[in-house]
Amino acid sequence: MTDRDDIDMLAAEYVLGTLDPAQRQSVEKRRSQEPELDRAISDWEARLSPLNAHYDPVAPTRDLFAGIRARIESTAQAAAQTASQQMPGIVEFAKIKRKLAIWRAGALGAAAIAASMVVVLLSNDVNLPVENGQFVAVFHRDDTQPAFVMSVDLETREVTIRPVEATMPEGKTYQLWIVTEETGPKPKSLGLLENIANPTTKQLGGVDPAMLRNATFGISLEPEGGSPTGQPTGPAIHGRLISVAQ
Amino acid sequence: MQLAVAMTSTRDLENLLRQSVEGNTDAFEQLYNATSAKLFGIVLRILRNRAQSEDALQDIYVRIWQKAGDFEPGRASIITWMATIARNRAIDIVRRQRPEADIEDADIDTLISSGSAFDQMAVADEMRQLEYCLNNLEDDRQQIVKLAYLEGWSRAELAERFAQPVGTIKTWLHRSLRQLKECLGT
Repeated sequence: MTDRDDIDMLAAEYVLGTLDPAQRQSVEKRRSQEPELDRAISDWEARLSPLNAHYDPVAPTRDLFAGIRARIESTAQAAAQTASQQMPGIVEFAKIKRKLAIWRAGALGAAAIAASMVVVLLSNDVNLPVENGQFVAVFHRDDTQPAFVMSVDLETREVTIRPVEATMPEGKTYQLWIVTEETGPKPKSLGLLENIANPTTKQLGGVDPAMLRNATFGISLEPEGGSPTGQPTGPAIHGRLISVAQ
Repeated sequence: MQLAVAMTSTRDLENLLRQSVEGNTDAFEQLYNATSAKLFGIVLRILRNRAQSEDALQDIYVRIWQKAGDFEPGRASIITWMATIARNRAIDIVRRQRPEADIEDADIDTLISSGSAFDQMAVADEMRQLEYCLNNLEDDRQQIVKLAYLEGWSRAELAERFAQPVGTIKTWLHRSLRQLKECLGT
């Protein structure tokens, strides 16, 4: 029996439900690290799920939703508290309702990170609703200070960048970049953020909303007029999209 | 306001889930109203205990709320995705300790020998295909696959019912699963 066979049978029995608790736990732990196992599980779910048609619906006897609502609302509150402790600078305009990271690991291609760029990734999985946005990204200059907050409206495909703690060195400008699966590993310019005192809005008409949702955004510091090479040349900060409550 | 839940389309459910991702608990309640009977049917069938099934159902919807942003429409239908979360939770519980049954056992022989549940509904291609492949298995192999998947039976429980050593059940399971995979060709 090959390793692949072993993985396939492990996945099959996991989906079937016949593994013992320790094996189930180990599979759940491994699947996040092992794409092959994860794929095998998804494939077996697809193969066997037509059996779900054999389950007849049975109405629960009592109203269970009140309990569910209480639990999801208390989780959201806890997330909001954590967030306001971690990011005092931005909660003043952000009413935090729930925590949910949409970001998919790996979307930030290695090629997108030029050697000269300083990449700071968002370290807190917090949710920062902005009035009219559906998703936001927080750009950190260092571990604690958010520099920009960007909101993205997937319906109108508009992004709005609000500076939080950003300052503009003389003779320099900030430039916004996007990396999507669609456009490949090289960042694509979305234009300059010329006036950092006010929010800047950019249109992303050409980008598929599904791609947008998994996109990586970057802001780099460039010479006045923008990057001379068409690629980020200066220090850059990156943000991840996270979903927000309305 | 009560919705005509039976008529809720996949697209409606996806919309409700999307609104849930954005933090809309009312949309999530509508999603619950439209899907809870199906998921409860799954959990109750596996756990056979009403009180525990109700607790499990609450856990399941909290998990669906938390994982709502992970749902990828291209990968599985929304109801399959939700059913998978429900089944996984029920199997986790039953594997740790099978609750004491407080409802009548489903009539297992009827369940696994007749296609009546299928005859009553418009059977999608993939269901027909899986049923065809299951029918190609020997009778007792077909039964162990269905008892495991639908009722959450462990290898040991299957071994007892079929009067076989656990190792033999494992071998039967693996052979049956390989045969199914080959037959389905996916």
